[in-house]
Amino acid sequence: MADNYQYQGTGRELQKELLSQWYQRLEDAPQNGTPVAYVFISGNICELLRSFGFELVFPEVNALQCGIKKVAGDFILKAEDLGYSSDVCGYVKNDIGLATSGNRGPFGTLPKPDLLVCNYSGCNTYIKWFEALAELYGARLFLLDVPYRRTGETQRPEDLDYVVAQLEQLAAVCAGITGRRYDADRLSEALALSRAAEDLWVRILESARHQPSPFDAFFEAVFFMAPIYVLRGTRECLEYYQAAWKEIEERIQHGMGPVSQERFRVVLEGPPPWPHFRTFWELFKRWGVCCVASTYSKVGGIWDFGLRHDPARPLESMAEYALNCYTNWDWTLRRRMLERYVSDYQADALVIHSVKSCRSFSVGQADVRDYFSKERGVPTLFVESDLADPRYFAEAQIRNRIDAFFEALEHRRVAAAPPVG
Amino acid sequence: MFVAGVDVGSTTTKAAVLDENKHIRALSLVDTGANVVRAAERAFREALRQTGLEEWDISFTVGTGYGRYRVPFGNLQVTEISCHAKGACFLLPLTRTILDIGGQDTKAIRVNEHAEVKDFSMNDKCAAGTGRFLAAAAQVLGLELGALGAVAAQARKPLKITNVCTVFVEQEIMMHLARGCQVEDVLAGVHSAIAGRSVALLRRVGLEEQITFTGGVARNSGMVQALEERLKLKLNVTPESQHIGAIGAALFAWERTARGETEKETHPSGSSSIPTGGT
Repeated sequence: MADNYQYQGTGRELQKELLSQWYQRLEDAPQNGTPVAYVFISGNICELLRSFGFELVFPEVNALQCGIKKVAGDFILKAEDLGYSSDVCGYVKNDIGLATSGNRGPFGTLPKPDLLVCNYSGCNTYIKWFEALAELYGARLFLLDVPYRRTGETQRPEDLDYVVAQLEQLAAVCAGITGRRYDADRLSEALALSRAAEDLWVRILESARHQPSPFDAFFEAVFFMAPIYVLRGTRECLEYYQAAWKEIEERIQHGMGPVSQERFRVVLEGPPPWPHFRTFWELFKRWGVCCVASTYSKVGGIWDFGLRHDPARPLESMAEYALNCYTNWDWTLRRRMLERYVSDYQADALVIHSVKSCRSFSVGQADVRDYFSKERGVPTLFVESDLADPRYFAEAQIRNRIDAFFEALEHRRVAAAPPVG
Repeated sequence: MFVAGVDVGSTTTKAAVLDENKHIRALSLVDTGANVVRAAERAFREALRQTGLEEWDISFTVGTGYGRYRVPFGNLQVTEISCHAKGACFLLPLTRTILDIGGQDTKAIRVNEHAEVKDFSMNDKCAAGTGRFLAAAAQVLGLELGALGAVAAQARKPLKITNVCTVFVEQEIMMHLARGCQVEDVLAGVHSAIAGRSVALLRRVGLEEQITFTGGVARNSGMVQALEERLKLKLNVTPESQHIGAIGAALFAWERTARGETEKETHPSGSSSIPTGGT
């Protein structure tokens, strides 16, 4: 029996191990003299920065770690004590609270940045976030301005040229800080590793087309996606996806999935409420809900739509990638993506988890709800809390909405089923 | 055969008993208070007392409302959204949209001709636009809840209440009173503010006639009037409006009994145990 399930748990365990090794390297960076750059997840150009020897800090990942380890509330209150308003992004306040508490979190102590790369992809609050950090640390700030993919149009060549030109400038800045020269071969080698990991990650995401799905593309994807966001372009990242795929393959062979009995397949839009992640998942699990596709697993890159890093076109493919992460797409493109997920993954419903402290991304969600429920006849559930601030999660109300929603779906199924006996 | 529904709301707990012909045999109402389990039992016993039945005469009981998991004698829990839809469509079969204003929740529910919930929307993390908002106003104005409608009907120059917070609305009311405004004009403004929020919820689910108004606040004639004025439509209001959730719960119990189910079931969802008819 044990032989049949030799890979189960690999994805989660290995991910945990990789992240803890990475955080250890960050903690050791100052004494090892390793340069440190801070960068955002969405459309990050980690391969370029790593080719100059930087270790990378992702403040969003630190914020979500604080959320899931239930210390975000204290950091948020600290930021509010400093004068940040209750309406400011929960991630930002968590990070400011952390940075002003000796940069020590549940993951260890974070090094100070030598460079802050604000890869501004769709979120304008992020500019202010890194401006605040630049002032706090006295570190150099490079604003990588990634034009928004607007009005649902095809990619504009001038947008691509604009980002490529900035990447060239960034390479010069990195060379100035680290004393290393731009190494095209080293970069291409990393991009080849990125590309191979991307192929495997897409295979894992698309496994959710199986019925039952072997993989929860939201609640499990948040763990499985971490290596491709923070360690992309490294051999350990590629090896992670090779191992993780074995786990999924094994689940497919055995008809196993994240819920013991899959009763509803949903597409999920929005990030998780990190401080209440497990509770939120349980509220869906008890209804036999499997998330077969999600947009949150695409905030760092939309590879399932064909995009890949390309060692033959290093800067261009990095620019394409930065332009095409989910957060940088306008609502026309995002809506098309959701439509495709609902049909390709044979979903029963769309679930929207809206984030109270993030107006940039929540603002169009009411229209998405209207579009799917009224024009497309796709049952749509809308719940609201926050990605970082535990105060916005009202369990009784969220539970009531989730129960009522799946209850209604079930009643309709019973009514549609032929009479028994 | 008799079945029961118990609706444990934030403010009041209601119970309904139906017979095998789906005739309503008893309706009861008690204050929920701090002890939810006791409130459910008290409402249930009061309904039994009205009918002269004993507990063992009830073959199936469905619990609903926020305290549905605390109904110890319940065989099944169903959310109040499904129960209000069920109850409203049973009493008024042409219902397509339901507005339920309770103690701390306001819900808009759209249903189809089979009383199936197609969409619903609720107030979020804020009691503005709920019964609690009216209760806060009544307290400041020194009025009984039951008198609100009649007083608001006397308004000549209804005021505009701009506050959307149940706590701060009290300050706004005090300010108007201090300026010498009439109680009835203030109260009409409060009704109008709640109507505005409720209509926004209704529009979110898509307004389709007929509209049935349920929940404790539906007993307030001033609220019915304020809503009808804003919607420019007539609302259905039944004498059982406050009990519609409990009646809906009892109807779910009736369906289960009709299918021959009497045992308490366990279900992965812990909420509803309606079989999916498949895997």
